[in-house]
Amino acid sequence: MIASLRPTLLFPVSRTSTEANRTGSWRFVRPVYRFKTAPCSAACPAGIDIPTVEMLASRGQIHDAWAHICRENPFPAVCGRVCFHPCEDACNRAELDAPIAINALERYIGDAGLAACSPLVSPAAALLQREVAIVGAGPAGLAAGYFLTQLGISAEIFESTEEPGGVLRWGIPSYRLPKAVLAAEIDRIAAAGVKIHCNRPVNPDTLAEMAARYDAVLVGAGLAAPLRLNISGEASIIDGLAFLKQVQAGSAPVASGEVAVIGGGNTAIDVARTLLRQGARPTIVYRRRRQDMPAFGHEIAAAEAEGVRIVELMAPVSAAADGNGVRMTLQPMRAAEVGADGRVRAVPAKQPPQEMRFKAVFSGIGAGVAEPWHRPADEADAIRLSHCAICRGTPTVGYIGDPVTAENSVAHAIGSGKQAAIALHALFTEGPEAVAPAVDRCRVGPGPALSMEIYLNGERSRRNGRVVTFADVNTDYFLRAERCAIPALAPAAAANGFEEAVATLKPRDALAEAARCFNCGICNDCDNCRIFCPEQTILVGEGGRRSVDLDYCKGCGICTVECPRCAMDMEEESA
Amino acid sequence: MSESINADRGLTYPGNLGCPGCGASIAINHALKGLGEKTVLVIPACCFAIMAGPYPMTALKVPILHTAFATAAVSAAGVRAGLDMQGDTETTVVAWAGDGGTFDIGIQSLSGTAERNDDIIFVCYDNEAYMNTGVQRSSATPYGTRTTTTPGAGWKRTRKKNIMEIMAAHRIPYAATANIAFPDDFIRKFAKAREMRGGTRFIHVFSSCPTGWGVASSLAIKIARLATRSNIFPLYEIENGTDWTLNLEGDLPVGDYLGAQGRFRHLTPEDLEQIQQEVDADLALIQERVAATRVRKAHLKPET
Repeated sequence: MIASLRPTLLFPVSRTSTEANRTGSWRFVRPVYRFKTAPCSAACPAGIDIPTVEMLASRGQIHDAWAHICRENPFPAVCGRVCFHPCEDACNRAELDAPIAINALERYIGDAGLAACSPLVSPAAALLQREVAIVGAGPAGLAAGYFLTQLGISAEIFESTEEPGGVLRWGIPSYRLPKAVLAAEIDRIAAAGVKIHCNRPVNPDTLAEMAARYDAVLVGAGLAAPLRLNISGEASIIDGLAFLKQVQAGSAPVASGEVAVIGGGNTAIDVARTLLRQGARPTIVYRRRRQDMPAFGHEIAAAEAEGVRIVELMAPVSAAADGNGVRMTLQPMRAAEVGADGRVRAVPAKQPPQEMRFKAVFSGIGAGVAEPWHRPADEADAIRLSHCAICRGTPTVGYIGDPVTAENSVAHAIGSGKQAAIALHALFTEGPEAVAPAVDRCRVGPGPALSMEIYLNGERSRRNGRVVTFADVNTDYFLRAERCAIPALAPAAAANGFEEAVATLKPRDALAEAARCFNCGICNDCDNCRIFCPEQTILVGEGGRRSVDLDYCKGCGICTVECPRCAMDMEEESA
Repeated sequence: MSESINADRGLTYPGNLGCPGCGASIAINHALKGLGEKTVLVIPACCFAIMAGPYPMTALKVPILHTAFATAAVSAAGVRAGLDMQGDTETTVVAWAGDGGTFDIGIQSLSGTAERNDDIIFVCYDNEAYMNTGVQRSSATPYGTRTTTTPGAGWKRTRKKNIMEIMAAHRIPYAATANIAFPDDFIRKFAKAREMRGGTRFIHVFSSCPTGWGVASSLAIKIARLATRSNIFPLYEIENGTDWTLNLEGDLPVGDYLGAQGRFRHLTPEDLEQIQQEVDADLALIQERVAATRVRKAHLKPET
């Protein structure tokens, strides 16, 4: 064979990479990271970023979770005990198995914050040379003071009684909220720079003096006047709110025997459960049906479990005291049509009135404003917002808390204080026209809950307002898992004293419960987008922030579908 | 791009020529996580021969030997022999073939290699037809599928060949199924196969093909997951051809999987029922073998 024709053993070897192929040019849709709003956080009157809190908690970063709650609510240990947790009703996980025990987790995190004596973070905004006086150290006033301080505005609270806390202190019995927990969270607010002056009642004259000295005054006097039943013999009926106050002060006479509590709201439940703990046998008498009671469902259930009787569809007609107790005349009622307020009305049934005898009768039908100046005058030139009203003029007087919120709860009061703080900050820095847009901008989803983090242009301000639904969640990644059991005293034992009826979760249970959270709408670093990207185009930046290398992304959309929590969207490429 | 961004792409380069949402792309990413950089791939004719880079490009950071359609297994065995000659005992040689290069055209060389128990891992990334050349049916195409060679009313009426039983019959040390939608299980099996040196290991990978299956590219993983959750593609391992382990039991009917794909859209409820029965019977057979393995192992245990 001719030597030059002899085959030589040479292999062609590829020496360049496919990186030269900019396959991103194939793409007609692109994935984008678009964090959205979790339904729980939109339902939270205090606007807490719940999916992030649960994410941090599930990783054992309890202090971070606590600090994250405190951005929106300085009362996690209090709210973890007394909040009516509308977040849990909104939780997407309910459609898979059961909602996350958000309230119990908030308590766990709040208690951890107390145990660690963690201070609240210092003001997040630049200091303004502005001073605001607040009337009333209830939840709305304390929250307003805290959030004003966060916004660089100095706040002073004037409280008429000898201790701060308002309804949290004198209205909520200690078996639901121990005084030490309340005091510790209030002390922390004071330590954050809010001046609280006790035994400083305010009247219209002193209010005018204050208004002259401060840049604004916020009135958060709460609802302190009991509503009247307007029946004959009312003088023989004991005011339930006053009774609760006396119990807190240790000065209430001990009730015993068969007693009645008139009403269907949380006050009635608190009075009845307190009477039970004093050794009495309470019956709640309510004029509508059981399911129409405005009290929180879990409170009603707890009261019944402890032995409180509920008599529905009975309206008090008259009361008469004799030497042995009180004789109540009650009219049987029946459910009628839905009234203008959307609730089923109760009207007298065709039955004669009945008499019932009790050792004592308490009213617990709620309360109204004690003084006309505790709420804005109807004719006032006011910026009326969802949770507060700011009356313009010299001076600026704002109204916060129960007298101006549509719903009365601790969480709403906190939301009210926050809204007023944001409104005043916008007013001071940008003028009255800026108030409504500023409040609007920091809505959580459709609102009305507001976020301080959004107002301060934090991470959350970049989130999309769309609320994640269950259909948006990729449930391939979630196995059914039981909701944690919330430790509680046996009802019979709970009814025996004023010890807390419900306990705090154990660390292991808390972490497992937090891990059940879908973390709707946010990135929790699960890395699915990166694991499944056929082109390996997902890049991880600082703090785990992910981005797409659009040079190579072909726009297949797998990342968006496999994101379990709807933190990504596909968007058509623009020409 | 800032310095702090982690652009770690593992052992692959971006810019491969696979279709958007290609299951084989995902499969190679998972596989190389289990195999590591000391790997040589041998690739016969298949989609991946194109995706791995038209000359002179490569999409992978490990060496690739392109070979003829029928010879993936023996070429891999040859590379192994060459490395042995060089004293390299560390590098893993992996044949990476499609279903055509495994079930059909590659089967005689695969069978021969397995019989000789050559020290390679043979991976079949199975997209259930000749996708690269335009969706012609293969013996891996399942019953009921429309392809360009089984079109219209002439959809495929024979079963998918059971390659796992064929490989088990060779009594090779390890055979396993893996699915791109289950990355942890997938990577674990590749790492296990890598560590089990000295014989032929076979991994049957379920790799969705949005283009050939009539599925949106975004659903490539979702569909793959349904294949396992409906027990159409169970995840299991066979050691030494006789010891069976089932990794995951599905919980969904076949209709959830079949109904979501264009290639099965013509199937009637009766067809689905027939497929369901076959799938149930196949799973029962695997479960019997798993149970038998357990009984046998219990007997083998030395008495204490």
